[in-house]
Amino acid sequence: MHEGSISIRIEADVREIERLNRLVRQFGELHDVPSRTLYAVNLALDELVTNAMLYGFDDASGKDVLVRIETAGHELVASVHDGGKPFNPLDVKPPDLNAPLEDRELGGLGIHLVRSLMDQVTYRRDGDQNVLTVRKKIR
Amino acid sequence: MQIKEEKHGDVMIVNIDDHLDTAAAPQFEQRLLGLIDAGERKVLVDCSKLEYVNSAGLKVFLLAAKKLEPVKGTMIISCLAPSVLMIFEMIGFTRIMKISPTREDALRAFGATVAT
Repeated sequence: MHEGSISIRIEADVREIERLNRLVRQFGELHDVPSRTLYAVNLALDELVTNAMLYGFDDASGKDVLVRIETAGHELVASVHDGGKPFNPLDVKPPDLNAPLEDRELGGLGIHLVRSLMDQVTYRRDGDQNVLTVRKKIR
Repeated sequence: MQIKEEKHGDVMIVNIDDHLDTAAAPQFEQRLLGLIDAGERKVLVDCSKLEYVNSAGLKVFLLAAKKLEPVKGTMIISCLAPSVLMIFEMIGFTRIMKISPTREDALRAFGATVAT
């Protein structure tokens, strides 16, 4: 994996996520990020960006979300920055994976995937921004 | 994403492809739940051309399974690509949903006749 970084600013519209995925894939291929890692990072970013777009803004029109990715050493670090309401998705109750079908809840699936796919997920409020940072070791 | 339906005996086969993401999920939800509302009780979702699913897409499978259970219906999900199957496992869906490696196996499980 080669060292490098990219910043991608996208409109707060879920149709933009496919473009984000494409850019992340291009960055990953250019920097020799293993395809399994790239898949996991793409899905985690999809979930975090979708969350920010759907729940952060009362009115998402004209708003945007910034994604940063950096490869350094044997680690990939990605962060999602949005100017929405303070919201820490890590506070969301994790789904009970052992619950029978009728009791399985619809919420919390996305953030559970992010936690499972990444080695570390952290949240901080930075001024008027929510910042979620994920880390994934390259093995 | 494209959704194509076909009937095999009393089994409703729903073929989906490409990306089942936040943008595509509402359309899939409407079609899949609509079929169950219309009385389909044996639903086979063929994912052989599905490359990517996120939580919005996973939610649709959960909604459909929850809707079918009280009416004694069954959904089988077939031909999941390894990367998609990994996500189903991660979210615990392989414990509460029927997953089949091939379309033929799924059809047999429904009791349908399969040409060999």
